[in-house]
Amino acid sequence: MPDIHIRIQNLTKKFGNVVAVDNVSLEIERGSFTTLLGPSGCGKTTTLRLIAGLYNVEQGEIFFGDRCVNDVPSHQRNATMVFQDYALFPHMTIFENVSYGLRLMKLPAKEIEKRVEKTLRFLGLEELRDRAPGMISGGQQQRAALARSLIMEPEVLLLDEPLSNLDAKLRVNIRAELRQIQKNLGITTTYVTHDQEEALAISDSIAVMNKGRVVQFGTPWEIYYRPKSTFVADFVGVANFIHGKVSGVTSKDILIDIGDQILKLDAYDYRVSPDQRVVLNIRPETILMSKKPPDSQSNVLTGKIKTHTFVGQFIRYWVTCGEREFIVDLHDPSTGGILDGNVYLQLPPSKLHLLPEEEEEESIPS
Amino acid sequence: MGKILREPLLFITLLVVLSALGFFVLYPMVSVFTYPSLEDFLSIPKNARYVKAIYNTFIMVLLSTSSAITVGFLFAYTFARADVPLKRVFRIISLLPLFSPPFMIAFSYILMFGRNGLISYTLLGHRYDIIGWHGLWLSETIAFFPMAALIMEGVLQSISPSLEYAGRNLGATGWKLFRTITLPLARPGVAGAALLVAIYVLADFGNPIMIAGNFIVLPTEAWSRVSGWGDVTGAAVLTSILLLPAFFFFLFQRYWVGKREYTTITGKVTLVDIPPTKWYMRWSLFGFCTVVSILILCIFFGLIAGAFTKGWGFDYSPTLKHWGHIFSFSKPLTNSIYFALIAALVSSSFALVSAYLVSRKEFVAKKALDFVAILPAAIPGVFFGIGYSLSFNVPPFDLYGTSLIIIFSMIFWNIPMGYQTAYGGFQQIAASLGEAASNLGARSLRIFWDIELPLLKSAYISAFIVSFIRAVTTLSVIIFLVTSTNIVATFRILNLVNDGFLGQGATLTTALLFLTFLILGCARFLFGRKIELFRI
Repeated sequence: MPDIHIRIQNLTKKFGNVVAVDNVSLEIERGSFTTLLGPSGCGKTTTLRLIAGLYNVEQGEIFFGDRCVNDVPSHQRNATMVFQDYALFPHMTIFENVSYGLRLMKLPAKEIEKRVEKTLRFLGLEELRDRAPGMISGGQQQRAALARSLIMEPEVLLLDEPLSNLDAKLRVNIRAELRQIQKNLGITTTYVTHDQEEALAISDSIAVMNKGRVVQFGTPWEIYYRPKSTFVADFVGVANFIHGKVSGVTSKDILIDIGDQILKLDAYDYRVSPDQRVVLNIRPETILMSKKPPDSQSNVLTGKIKTHTFVGQFIRYWVTCGEREFIVDLHDPSTGGILDGNVYLQLPPSKLHLLPEEEEEESIPS
Repeated sequence: MGKILREPLLFITLLVVLSALGFFVLYPMVSVFTYPSLEDFLSIPKNARYVKAIYNTFIMVLLSTSSAITVGFLFAYTFARADVPLKRVFRIISLLPLFSPPFMIAFSYILMFGRNGLISYTLLGHRYDIIGWHGLWLSETIAFFPMAALIMEGVLQSISPSLEYAGRNLGATGWKLFRTITLPLARPGVAGAALLVAIYVLADFGNPIMIAGNFIVLPTEAWSRVSGWGDVTGAAVLTSILLLPAFFFFLFQRYWVGKREYTTITGKVTLVDIPPTKWYMRWSLFGFCTVVSILILCIFFGLIAGAFTKGWGFDYSPTLKHWGHIFSFSKPLTNSIYFALIAALVSSSFALVSAYLVSRKEFVAKKALDFVAILPAAIPGVFFGIGYSLSFNVPPFDLYGTSLIIIFSMIFWNIPMGYQTAYGGFQQIAASLGEAASNLGARSLRIFWDIELPLLKSAYISAFIVSFIRAVTTLSVIIFLVTSTNIVATFRILNLVNDGFLGQGATLTTALLFLTFLILGCARFLFGRKIELFRI
């Protein structure tokens, strides 16, 4: 039985006529790192702010452990938040910013001093304690905002796109750092981002949101390789969709008629019936591409390279196969050089993933 | 409403703010409208003097607004876009009229260009008379172009020079560039400035009372109704006529032009150098700015010279005899400073609290509060003053002849200045700062005190200073409220000039001006250079 720390039940939040959060239910394990992922306007930040207590809950319930916190004011939830723009008080020094919460608690000056000292050292900010927020770099501001939250020794840490204002390289470093700190302290953390790569890299579990709803909740692996809808498949990573209908089901394989040929995929535990319309998805890096015809004849398509882009760690090709177009990533291009002309694509049966035809209408249980 | 009800202190504050605005802004307005009967309003067209006053006012609004906007735009263009020698000096000089009582300009021009004028008669030997519509036109242009220049400078600065470079890059140069790129982008800002200036011209009382002579306009006619015939009804009718276009201009400026400004189009202010100015442009602008600057400096020269001259027009030997009267002026002078300081302090604090409520809290009457807090900006001073004299003359609020009635009128007439500054300040403070503090355990009042107030300090001080200057220099608001007990300097100056004591009038004006600048200097010294004045 997992230890559920935050339980959200049938949460709905409207702003005027706009439904920002639509009947969301979610269970977040104690000590886990959970990410709310989705495009802008999907309700992820609103959900986070409802958890933080910055918005009033009007419909549904939020529990911390067994306690319903609907009517508990923000600062009594023991859930501190790091804001997207950091929200460091510009007229206070880093020391004053970080100690602000403790000073409101009227702790003795000595203890405040000690705890701030410890926190600043922990985050490598001790040199900056007397600086104003405007005088330090973006990465340092981000850590100062984190320090101001962590010093409250919260049970729950809430992060609202905290890395979005940093440049790309710094973002990758700080995200690893953040994950390490969270693991060391064991704080239940909820994180909001629209960056799918960031979500995959940092999370124990991801709740993908769209139009106010949670459309899938699972581990990064599940979200990436076993998306439940074309929306998730498309939003997380790059998807190659092939439309078709089920033409045969055995205990081992499922056969899909895609019009000009039949594709075979591993049956796993997909539950489908003959003639059902489905969508196949395959990730670009799992497609095998070659100039010579492959040994096996099954799941092979012939195509022509339309264009490519060289990214360094891999080459991305756009390959036209009749009416269809595939995106194929070939890794380690240092040996093979850049391909062009006619090629063979092989879609390994174990890498094809089955999705329902209608988006969001139904999902194939797996 | 739910949230604010849970915080009783905030709820009480809201009630106090709303009822104060209702009682000191709306109630006096209603008093003026309801004082005359419907028949009094209907018979306006039959009264030849009323019609004349309406017509003259209309002409002056057209003339003075156009000229103030033209002069203002050329100055703004010089400051923001052109490379003209001494432009910093011109800028400082152009700000001076903002700090001086409005009637001072007319007064000084009489000294310089009147029948006994230093320049017109003594130097040029002309018995030229500046009294009349043309003198009023000149005074109002000089009085109100600085406000227009300030607004349009902001507008021009917010137009990124890279847009002009893009225009040049596509082949537009010189006049064509100005006409097709710069001017269209600045148009909403120019329109906004024009409407504001029009409101000021409409409401102007100090200049016409000094220099317009027989050329009657609505505010002065309202005053002479009361002072000459004791006809309060007539004054109420005339000021009501005045309020109508002022209110319309105000609504138009705020809700139509305000929404059409292009200032945010490029978002980021790019640090691109402004394109070089052509030599003929540079020197024409230089010549123009020099002439206008001399006209401004004339005001101060005339006044100060007048304060130290024996007999203006015939005996220019220096004297200190006018300063001998300074002790008889001490009451109006100290009253002016004292009332204005108290009024500015209360006004900007009240405005700050109102702005806080509107920008940070949710409650039912929010839109109404926002509207009433900026409404006095549309109310001509004479209307405001007459409203107070009609509203607060019966017990339990019989304030006739007291300091309080003057102070209250100054407080609420100046609310919009502080309110707009503070509201802008609140908009600039990210909401997440308050949320962060709340998340760490701060309650509403704590957030206001710890986070928002320190960040609003410079906005508050700016609002205080602007309110102070407006209060200390106003004549129109207090003209219907002063008696011998609560007399202020501006009113005393008017009397001195009317009675022909030009030297003494100049002396008192100089003293008032000196005290005002002294207090400004102190504020600058105490709070540093961060204070932005006259940001509208």
